[in-house]
Amino acid sequence: MVAPKSPAAGRRTLRLAIRRQESPGVKSRWERFEVEVEPGSNLISVLQGIAGRPTTAAGEKTTPVAFDCGCLEEVCGSCTMVVNGKVRQACSCLVDQFVEGDEITVEPMTKFPVVRDLCVDRSRLFDGLKRVKAWVPLDGTYHLGGGPKESPQDQETRYALATCMSCGCCLEACPQYKVEPDATTWAKEFVGAAVISQARLFNMHGTGQVLKGERLEVLSGRGGVNDCGNAQNCVQVCPKEIPLTESIAAVGRQATVQAVKRFFSGR
Amino acid sequence: MTTAPTAVPAGSSESFLDRHYFLLRRLHSLSGVVPIGVFLIPHLTTNSSIVWGSQLGHSPYGPGSGGVYTFQHEVDFIHSLPALVLIEVGLIWLPLLYHAAMGVVFARTGRTNVSAYRYGGNWRYALQRATGYIALVFIFLHLSSLRWGWTYGGWFPTFEVDAAASSTAEHFQAGRMGVAMAALYLVGVLSVVYHFANGLWTAAITWGLTVTRPAQERWGRVCAAIGVALAAMGVAAIWGFSTLNIEKAKIIEAQMQAGVKASEGLMTGDAVVPAE
Repeated sequence: MVAPKSPAAGRRTLRLAIRRQESPGVKSRWERFEVEVEPGSNLISVLQGIAGRPTTAAGEKTTPVAFDCGCLEEVCGSCTMVVNGKVRQACSCLVDQFVEGDEITVEPMTKFPVVRDLCVDRSRLFDGLKRVKAWVPLDGTYHLGGGPKESPQDQETRYALATCMSCGCCLEACPQYKVEPDATTWAKEFVGAAVISQARLFNMHGTGQVLKGERLEVLSGRGGVNDCGNAQNCVQVCPKEIPLTESIAAVGRQATVQAVKRFFSGR
Repeated sequence: MTTAPTAVPAGSSESFLDRHYFLLRRLHSLSGVVPIGVFLIPHLTTNSSIVWGSQLGHSPYGPGSGGVYTFQHEVDFIHSLPALVLIEVGLIWLPLLYHAAMGVVFARTGRTNVSAYRYGGNWRYALQRATGYIALVFIFLHLSSLRWGWTYGGWFPTFEVDAAASSTAEHFQAGRMGVAMAALYLVGVLSVVYHFANGLWTAAITWGLTVTRPAQERWGRVCAAIGVALAAMGVAAIWGFSTLNIEKAKIIEAQMQAGVKASEGLMTGDAVVPAE
């Protein structure tokens, strides 16, 4: 798949198979393209090239392939898609690193409902963040003053967790996370590593930890931290190298402590 | 701060699983370690005594009798426990039933994807589920035949407490069926051992004992060592019973029973009645 970078000999022709889908819920189909690319091109520029000249490899006119992108530097997560069977960001996918002549497959993420072509609806991920209250509660009618002091050690741990861009790679690769197009089932299905890790982040925050009990309440129930199957794919595919499995274990520990405390205190 | 409404609107029916989810989940994790996993260790050490027992040289029934002697001695000890059935039901059979039933429910919430993501951890995940299903079938066959005496129409021999080694060995030596039985036990025992060793590793994550990556790796090496040791004992037991001289074992067992009767439970060897 990924070969050593070929000498930047100039333009080369790239063969792509892209999974197309007109609208939500309809059948998808493969469409093949041949695109000339510059050295150092990424997959986004290839998709832009197709949008500029939407013609298939067989020479038939087609519609431009729809895709999301934003930052183009792997910090926004909007261009996350499945390339050659593995989830990743398209912007950091430098296509001339692929072996010449090989066909590159490009598909939308499978764990979220497709909106069109490579665009997916990740509302469920944001719903999960809302359910665990992944924020610091600061709203009020008066100035709250400075927050509690943070130790440099905690700050260092939290920084890594704070780099999460909610791209969904960890969910796409997770065998416990399945596509749930219907929002009514979201509350009972696994929230996934990203949400658990954000709960840990805000449980560690001096002010954010006032909601720790409520977060753990949600994560102790159906679809919470107990639904993790420890395949640990999340940490392998995370583009930000966030220690997601450590977050899952840390929240598991917090849930254990809370349950034991409640057992003996009766709440 | 406002108190947000709970996720489930009032009036909607929450299932028993929903209401006690955390407890049921953690009981599933706990039951795999204590008592089931803890039981597995003496179970395999006892069964492998058919091999290591001969190394002790403490049998009064002559050279080569140590395995049969030690195994029979262990079995007699287990069957001398007071309220054995209560111990079995409460500490083995019910926990097994619970762990198996919940295990199937939880395993069905996942879908393996090792073909796309070929990471070691992902294989461990897939194997944990596969070995769980194998263990479920194997342990049921094992318990029902050797403990409850189901013969499945004569396919499975029964276990005799007074002739522990020879009746177990007959399991593994009945012609072509014996080879199939040994193969079944090999797959079954190795599945159970893998499931326990890997489960011991993941339980430490579930409960939050091992949080950091180095801690998980360290505990992983401990679990792997436990798994290798238990696998070695399981394989030794199967090999030991598959190669046991049944006729010789029967003579030793008869001598032991006669000795027990003669001295009312003392097994010093002084009261041995010579074999006919």
